[in-house]
Amino acid sequence: MLFEARGLTKRFGGLTAVSDVSFGIDEGEIIGIFGPNGSGKTTTLSLIAGMLAPTAGDLVWQGQGIVGRRPFEIAEMGIVKTFQNPQLFPELTVLDHMRIASHLGFKRALGARRLFTLVWPWAAADIESGADAKMKDMLHLCRLTEARNEKAAALSYGAEKMLGVAMAMMCDPKLLLLDEPASGLGQEEIVNLEAVLRDLRAHGVTLCIIDHKVGFLGRLADRSIALAHGAMIAQGATRDVLASDAVVEAYLGRKHA
Amino acid sequence: MMRFVPLVALACALAAPLFIRSDSTFAIVTFGLLLASLAVSFNLIFGFTGQLSFFHAASFGVAAYITAILVSDYRWNFWLAIGPALATVAMLALVVGAICFRFKLREFYFAVVTMAFSEMIRLVVVNWNSVTNGTLGMTVTAQPTLWSPSGPVALSGARVWYYVALAVLVVTYVVCQRVLASWIGRCFAAIRLNEQLGETLGVNVFLYKLLSFVIGSVLAGLVGCFYGFYTGFIEPQYLSITQSLDIISMVLLGGVSSLFGPVIGGLVLTALPHVIDLTAELRIILYGAILIFVILVMPRGIFGLFERPHHAV
Ligand SMILES: Nc1ncnc2c1ncn2[C@@H]1O[C@H](COP(=O)(O)OP(=O)(O)OP(=O)(O)O)[C@@H](O)[C@H]1O
Ligand SMILES: [Mg+2]
Repeated sequence: MLFEARGLTKRFGGLTAVSDVSFGIDEGEIIGIFGPNGSGKTTTLSLIAGMLAPTAGDLVWQGQGIVGRRPFEIAEMGIVKTFQNPQLFPELTVLDHMRIASHLGFKRALGARRLFTLVWPWAAADIESGADAKMKDMLHLCRLTEARNEKAAALSYGAEKMLGVAMAMMCDPKLLLLDEPASGLGQEEIVNLEAVLRDLRAHGVTLCIIDHKVGFLGRLADRSIALAHGAMIAQGATRDVLASDAVVEAYLGRKHA
Repeated sequence: MMRFVPLVALACALAAPLFIRSDSTFAIVTFGLLLASLAVSFNLIFGFTGQLSFFHAASFGVAAYITAILVSDYRWNFWLAIGPALATVAMLALVVGAICFRFKLREFYFAVVTMAFSEMIRLVVVNWNSVTNGTLGMTVTAQPTLWSPSGPVALSGARVWYYVALAVLVVTYVVCQRVLASWIGRCFAAIRLNEQLGETLGVNVFLYKLLSFVIGSVLAGLVGCFYGFYTGFIEPQYLSITQSLDIISMVLLGGVSSLFGPVIGGLVLTALPHVIDLTAELRIILYGAILIFVILVMPRGIFGLFERPHHAV
């Protein structure tokens, strides 16, 4: 198992945002996380990515506990999270964004030898061109090649979200945590997103995706978990989860006779 | 295009002494170059990493005091004294930065806490009479010497100091430029733009903020080492908040989004009070008015008017 959450719990004061949630993710899977607004989906991913500290519970990544690691360490280990609302820099172009995100690649490739590139920048030329090639690939993968010189401010909401994914991909994640990549997207953009996510999986990336609508993720996810009020109310094959009474009730607020 | 501006400016600066006649002009330009260096290193922390530090004058002043004391009172060689001076500044910046960044102080809070540390250091300098001569300050009579084939040459005279100041600026500029062009610059950009996003993309925000703060502060110290020997005088005023504010003004006037902007800001704000012959009070008012104008009307500063609106990444 690539990743496992055991008894994951997060309280904010009196509010229990995530309550005793346990699930596992296998390599190469697409896992869906469903749940109505405020059910603790984002909090769950933030806990995994180290942006919040769990109140209780364990997170195991490739057999190793990661609770207490800082977010950048977790990113370095291969878990990268995107944001529900794209966090972009309006005055920078798409390529600028990608360049900023290329940092981990350099660190992995050069380690302490990066210091040498301060006085001898040409030492990094291969890696620099490697990074450029990777930027190109990722932009292509995320259907952003044409927009590469646009300012972020000029992008459509769908393209902004794609850029968030492309930046995360620059970190070579093994597990990519996507927070509602489909929300706010038009029908055409969702089709596009689905194709991108399938391509990512084909690249060997394991995906854990939040969505609060059932539509597109229902087609995409191999397995799913459903949350309501922070608690896990169902898990298993996506179709079964979405059809389960508990989930139907959570969404509709009453039993579906 | 804009990439060549610094090189053209350097060529002009190297040739300028051929055309400068009066010692007073030399003095203004030399001060301008030294303060421009402070503005450049400040902008590494402020414009490029997004941290409004009020510690810059302290770094500058501490280094000025330490070199002057080591040279005047302990008869050290000037060039050797630079080492401990910069090491001390690095240590102070490391401690202050580590405290601020560990407690995740941002923006206003970071500014206020660095200001408090800066004042603490100033008060130590003011009250440590036996070493610093307190509020009276110290006169620095020793002159650093440079090795040359025909024996040591003292750093004295308007022309020589002009070139010394220019060299300090070039060193500061090149160090900042190298840092920003490397992977470090990308991490700084990530921090300036969005710390949280940077952290999820694998940037050790604490480490790189600290790095920016320490590098910037040490470069400010470098200017301090020379400054006292140029003016021949050191006083606690060097470490004051006003001094930090002056540096901030230069950066805002010149433009925060480049390394070259602060050079312009430093030179202009140093020269202006001399070019327009005003009483001290009027000078301060004019100075304030210019700043307000810049902040309201051209937030990218003078250099920003010509530059494509974009931070170096
Ligand atoms: N930093 C925080 N401090 C206090 N409460 C929080 C914090 N973050 C989230 N919460 C609360 O925790 C609960 C779960 O929030 P979370 O953002 O995880 O929900 P979500 O499932 O992602 O919802 P949405 O579909 O609206 O994105 C909510 O009640 C929210 O108000
Ligand atoms: Mg959410």
